[in-house]
Amino acid sequence: MMLLRLISWPYVRKHLLRALLTTAGIVLGVAVFVGMHTANQSVLYAFNRTVDRIAGATQLQVTAGEIGFSEDVLERVQAQPDVEVAVPVIEATVQTGIAGQGNLLVLGVDMTGDRSLRDYDLEKADDTIVDDPLVFIAQPDSIIVSRQFTERTGLKLNSKLTMQTMQGPRQFTIRGVMNSEGLASAFGGSLAVMDIYAAQLVFGRGRRFDRIDISLHPGIKVDDARRRLQSALGSGFEVDTPSSRGQQFEAVAQVYSMNATLTSIFALFIGLFLIYNTFSIAVTQRRNEIGILRALGASSGLVKRLFLAESAITGLIGSTIGIGVGILIARGLATYLGTFFAEVYGVGEKAQEVSADPKLLLSALFIGVGTSVVAGWLPARNAARVDPVKALQKGRVQVITEGESRLRRNLALLLLAGAVACATLGHVRIFFYSGYMLNVLAVLLLTPALCIWLGKALRPLLKWLRPVEGALAADSLLQSPRRTSGTVAALSLSVALVVGLGGIAKASYESIRSWMDAALSPDFFITGSETITQRSIRFPEELAGEFRKVPGVEEVQAVRTARILYSGTPVMLVAADLRSLAERVRLQVIEGDGATMYKRAERGEGVVLSDNFALLRKVKTGDVLELPAPDGMVKMPVLGVVLDYSDQNGTILMDRGAYKKYWGDPTVNAFRIYLNAGEDRAAMRQKLLDQFGGRTRLFIMTNAELKQYITNLTDQWFGLTYVQIFVAVLVAILGIVNTLTVSIADRKRELGVLQAVGGLRNQIRQTIWMEAIAIGVLGLAIGFALGAVHLYYILEVTRRDLAGMRLDYRYPFAIAATLIPVILGSALFSAIGPAETAVRGSLVEALEYE
Amino acid sequence: MNRLLAALLLAAPLAAQDARTIVDESQKRSRADSQRYEGTLEVIDSKRKVTTKKWIYERLGSAGESKAVLRFTAPAEVKGVALLIHNHPDRASDQWMWTPAVQRERRIAFQDRRTRFFGTDFTFEDLEERDVDRSSYKLLGEETLMGALCWKIESTPKAEAKSQYSRVTFWIRKDNYVLTQAECFGREKTDKLVRRIRYSDIEKVQGIFTPRMFEVRDEERESTTVMKVERLQYNTSMPAERFTLQALRRDQ
Repeated sequence: MMLLRLISWPYVRKHLLRALLTTAGIVLGVAVFVGMHTANQSVLYAFNRTVDRIAGATQLQVTAGEIGFSEDVLERVQAQPDVEVAVPVIEATVQTGIAGQGNLLVLGVDMTGDRSLRDYDLEKADDTIVDDPLVFIAQPDSIIVSRQFTERTGLKLNSKLTMQTMQGPRQFTIRGVMNSEGLASAFGGSLAVMDIYAAQLVFGRGRRFDRIDISLHPGIKVDDARRRLQSALGSGFEVDTPSSRGQQFEAVAQVYSMNATLTSIFALFIGLFLIYNTFSIAVTQRRNEIGILRALGASSGLVKRLFLAESAITGLIGSTIGIGVGILIARGLATYLGTFFAEVYGVGEKAQEVSADPKLLLSALFIGVGTSVVAGWLPARNAARVDPVKALQKGRVQVITEGESRLRRNLALLLLAGAVACATLGHVRIFFYSGYMLNVLAVLLLTPALCIWLGKALRPLLKWLRPVEGALAADSLLQSPRRTSGTVAALSLSVALVVGLGGIAKASYESIRSWMDAALSPDFFITGSETITQRSIRFPEELAGEFRKVPGVEEVQAVRTARILYSGTPVMLVAADLRSLAERVRLQVIEGDGATMYKRAERGEGVVLSDNFALLRKVKTGDVLELPAPDGMVKMPVLGVVLDYSDQNGTILMDRGAYKKYWGDPTVNAFRIYLNAGEDRAAMRQKLLDQFGGRTRLFIMTNAELKQYITNLTDQWFGLTYVQIFVAVLVAILGIVNTLTVSIADRKRELGVLQAVGGLRNQIRQTIWMEAIAIGVLGLAIGFALGAVHLYYILEVTRRDLAGMRLDYRYPFAIAATLIPVILGSALFSAIGPAETAVRGSLVEALEYE
Repeated sequence: MNRLLAALLLAAPLAAQDARTIVDESQKRSRADSQRYEGTLEVIDSKRKVTTKKWIYERLGSAGESKAVLRFTAPAEVKGVALLIHNHPDRASDQWMWTPAVQRERRIAFQDRRTRFFGTDFTFEDLEERDVDRSSYKLLGEETLMGALCWKIESTPKAEAKSQYSRVTFWIRKDNYVLTQAECFGREKTDKLVRRIRYSDIEKVQGIFTPRMFEVRDEERESTTVMKVERLQYNTSMPAERFTLQALRRDQ
């Protein structure tokens, strides 16, 4: 402690800017980690809280994916001896059209029994109205809303509220207002309750329920009841606690979560190199101090512990600030993410507040401090090994010894060999990821050597550009590889991250575009909501026949999409008229016989899978899928695998006939409409809207609009990526500023001498600028190479573990080219401050020693 | 409805033979092949706010094995809503509600029988007719109530009846075997009185003594429901098809 106060603290005070910049590396890494995960958790928390509040006294829920089930299941559940109360529920989100109010979550319940489970906490004055279910039920336009909602909208009891339903815009009457606690506060208060049979009608459910909420007789254990109920209902149903819905949501959104984790790790890795770099420099600069300490009897262990304590404190401060910044980031990100999840996955909601998980924050603190200590370990070891005699001699000490270089090179080659070996065993996950890590580590270990080689190669060019300044800048780099290599490593990691993310974005856009061209051939897509992922409002299938009768319509394909559980994971089931689909859609066949598989699937002989389903679930043609349906597990052989990006978790393509047979659900989510050749699309769209818009809620998207919509969703997805790229570049720039600041301080004497012998201020400036540009060039060169490897791995990770997308390797040359001016410009920009410090420094002070 | 409520509360077998005989006799005396009346219902809440509903009630059969339809006629917002009840001697009744606005019937689940019947002070369970053997009871003595000497009998529903009540005490007039009062005690609130039903304006209609007014008092909510029976007829001709779900949908 005393050493920290007497030795470390004065050094930090003297080099405050550098200390801040170093800490900033950890701050950013931890902030990204905390921000992205906290935002994710906040959305999940908001979702869970809504589930909890809606659940009320519900102990178990019976569901069948998103498909729901017929009404008779209710009686089967109610007949179970463990069940005290079982009530049906329908959930749908609708638009109210009230500005700024977003969606309203509508809960369809049977008011005769539902109050046994949920406390509606009605205002006393309304109690007699709503407590009389007769009026509430007899008038299907009855709804109860929350007090928060009435306060926000200015509506009151008996006010009319228009909602977009399957039957078109319909007016509802507010017949009850719930006080703002419990149920009423679910979904941020944007909650309405209506009669379930009216909900069936207006949301196109037919005679089906979405789920059944259950409370058990007192004294019955939930687990036991769950097991008995599951066994009584069969495997076509899921019987679980309300909290399991959160787990399913988590499973659906896991691609985002994994992506956030990977980026955070990368950001922290960059931070690690910044700290390593700073401490390496610090050890070099403080050799005299270390020498004196050792001469005074301090053991090498004590010196090591001193440096490790410094790095731990840096990590602690950086992590603490990072956590604060991360929570701030999460506040902004959570709202965006809630909307984003709702758009991409059809679930999720805006987080009203950020909920920071103490475990996550503790992990962030641990990771931040751990990263810092790991980064400081090598410099601390080097400090401990300092020979007191040599340390007290004047002279340059930045040189990495030949022995050390050789050791690094050999180790790097060993790691590369290990990476190659792992690549041959890449089909095993542990070897694959180990290979990835070994590759990155090998390149990083080679960085000092690469800096020297590339620096030597760069010297003639710099000298040619500016004979004096260029040579000085190149020599500065060559003479202090320890100072440079850490920054170059951090910079190259950032560049590699950008190349990887850019590469995957490029490949994704290309693949999605090509899939859209193959799969999305209809002229119009008719859906029940403006977001195609929202499936809570459905059409009756009879509508297809009515669309067909419209002059100008050539063909109508009815499609039902619903998430079901496959081996405990939510996947997308797509039920369509496969004969018609096969004639119109040309999806790339990965496995199976393209000529026969659709015909066989049409006969109900099996299903066709998306490539990502097959990859993620490790299923191939000929395997038999067991899918949960109301009458038990349906065994469906896999007839083929096609390239389809409809859903990140994979899709099962099934004929509507088979779907209706096994799931008993005739409803439709979307109609794909083909027009006769030469039809005026705008006129046809208007015609359909005029004919059907008044009696059913429908959104007609043209082919181009749907493609644009999907492209926008992809943009949103990669929007997060661009934030990550920004952070990566920012961290790298911090590294450059840090290195140059150190470089100036290190070379104060040298720069002073230069000025004393007639060097112009501009020459000094340009020397530093060129040094910065040289660092940028080195970082770019190594980063481009590392990025090529990183891209290969990230594509593989995406294929194997993230989305199952088989993306082509396309090096993002355009992004790489964009990075050149960005990084060099940033390097130059970050050199301005240090350069000015150098030229404006006191000459007397600089030459004090001479 | 009056018939229903009376049947419910009297339908209890006896541990003591005398009490059972009294109940049995009371049921026999009120028995008819069919019944029809127009009912007016007034619910007076704790703030003395009054809501009124009207319905037509028809019943075919008697003594725990009957079918009944109750169709609301007023006010306008509930007009057409109907309730179909199939009473069984050995188990709880089946009940369906028809809502014309959504053209749907809904089954009233067994679990919901303890819930209030459409905002009134009696429950769906109170609408059931029960076989006498589904409860046991004993004669507590004799008391004068509303100017008439009555038997005071305690009925305890058997476990298989799964009643919301732990016990029901009722008073049956000695002169004409008409039920004049019932006090219902809940299970959850430690045997607390939850509901009191009084039968008055007793008239002899087609040879059957019938109360023309019921007053149900919910002791917890402090509200009261008063039901008046008008245009009462017994043993009129009613086709059995009228008491089906199909008829419920058709005759809206």
